[in-house]
Amino acid sequence: MSESTRRITQVARHEYRAALRSRVLVILIAILVASTIGSVLIGASDYAAQLADYNTYRAAAEAQGLTRIAPSPLAVLALLRGALEYIEILGAIIAITLGYLSVSRERVNRTLPLMRSRPLTGAELATGSYLGALGIFATLIVATALVGVVSLGLIGHDWISPIQVLRVTLACLAALLYLSAFYCLGAIATARAKVPVNGLTIALGIWLVVVLVLPQIGDTLDADNQLPGGLFQALGLDHDGELAVLTHFTGYERVRTGIEEASLAKHFERFAFAMTDVKERYRPYGLSWLLNETRNNIAWLLAYAAVLFAALRRTLSRQQPIETGGNS
Amino acid sequence: MGLVPTPSIARTHVMNEPAIELRGLQHRYDTDLVLRGVDLRIEHGEVFGFLGHNGAGKTTAMNILTTLITPTAGTAAVCGYDVVTERSEVTRRIGYLPADVRMYGHMSALENLEFLAKLSGLPDARAAAMEALEFLGCADLAKRRVGTFSTGMRQRIGIAQAIVHRPHVLLLDEPTSGLDPMGVRQLRNTITQLNAELGMTVFMNTHLLSEVSKVCTTIGVLNHGELIYNDSIENTTLRFPDESSLEDIYVRVGGPTP
Repeated sequence: MSESTRRITQVARHEYRAALRSRVLVILIAILVASTIGSVLIGASDYAAQLADYNTYRAAAEAQGLTRIAPSPLAVLALLRGALEYIEILGAIIAITLGYLSVSRERVNRTLPLMRSRPLTGAELATGSYLGALGIFATLIVATALVGVVSLGLIGHDWISPIQVLRVTLACLAALLYLSAFYCLGAIATARAKVPVNGLTIALGIWLVVVLVLPQIGDTLDADNQLPGGLFQALGLDHDGELAVLTHFTGYERVRTGIEEASLAKHFERFAFAMTDVKERYRPYGLSWLLNETRNNIAWLLAYAAVLFAALRRTLSRQQPIETGGNS
Repeated sequence: MGLVPTPSIARTHVMNEPAIELRGLQHRYDTDLVLRGVDLRIEHGEVFGFLGHNGAGKTTAMNILTTLITPTAGTAAVCGYDVVTERSEVTRRIGYLPADVRMYGHMSALENLEFLAKLSGLPDARAAAMEALEFLGCADLAKRRVGTFSTGMRQRIGIAQAIVHRPHVLLLDEPTSGLDPMGVRQLRNTITQLNAELGMTVFMNTHLLSEVSKVCTTIGVLNHGELIYNDSIENTTLRFPDESSLEDIYVRVGGPTP
């Protein structure tokens, strides 16, 4: 192991332990885990009842000697939808808070000069902190996924297959990328702000726009994805009518699509929902088809994570370890 | 258990070059020029007292030597290594005690030291941390959380973190600030011990003239970013035989009354 790798590992461990010692963060994580587990448990018990109904129907059909028996309409992985949505919203807040704490802790404690007066570079500090945060997210996601999968088996009476385990794992990896991007956002905003808490406010403002406002705009005005109360539904237009109207608004449609495409949350949601059978249209297809279909979302998630990590390294490398201009 | 200066660093190169060398060092914060072309050479084994009133530029000079800020112009070198272009070499050879040292309050003294020792690349960081605490006579603080420490205790742990990797040059920024008379005396003894027993060169920012006369071998006086005086304590006393104290000499050479 090179000296640089050793220093990075040390910072990562330090970051991981410090994060677990933060009361605010632990409370936020506890809320996320409790909400997720609650949602999966409720879904699993409901699922058990539906599965029992289907099995009764199937047994009756077989007893009557029917050859054409309807396949189960149930999708066990879809019960993880709540968990994914909590990660999308609450998880992003946790990631931003962790990014804020990671930078502000060193600034407020004034420990940054002690670290930076050693051979540790800004890039190593950024990488170590990032890896420490990934460790926290991985722990959180794996714990949540395990509880979810075990609940589906024990309460929903449907143990998932190895290929489904792989699909859940891929969704978890996407969650890791998604959260890491928000961690970087929180850390960058805090490092650049004169007063650390202002950085947190800015990052949360961006989160609000990216996770809630932009996807909502997309959903409300998308002809293919009409929510109750959406514009076209309110106008009483059918799908063909909607498309006909939109041919007169190509510029608008381009902007709307662009907004949706720019939304990190949308990319995570599309990929994770495809992996977990939340979207019905994806259910008939195998994993390789799904991966091909969602490659665009994977690319966007990777690009966001990579660009924000590069920005974090750059920001922390250029950051002055001390507040200058005071006592000279 | 005794501490010894690390032999692993290329000592030949180190000893052939001055411990610290500043050449035409300048630094500017926006429009404010706080260091105005400082030239200074400090040899190995010296205890150098850097004197000056608040805002004279002492901390800026120290921040440059610790590689925390980059000078606007001129050069600074530690053991022959440039603080800007050879940062990694410099940081291996310096130990730094900031004014009002803070550490991770939720961690014990030993954990703090171990973490910083690992960042310095020490293979057995825990043992090195324990040795540093024992050397300073504060091994009893090892397991206690730093957040519960008094200023004096924090200062001792601060020095322990500065020497844990056996640096060649120890940079102390206002080390006596906030200490009671007993703490000041203890610190003075520690500095003397570090210099005499471990051979560390000490560069100390201070405006406490009483400390300088008791500990330092050389002094420099900085006034509004300019080095207006630099000589050994011995020569200084000879040059100003009529002055009864270092404070009088300080006023005489042009520094304002501290």
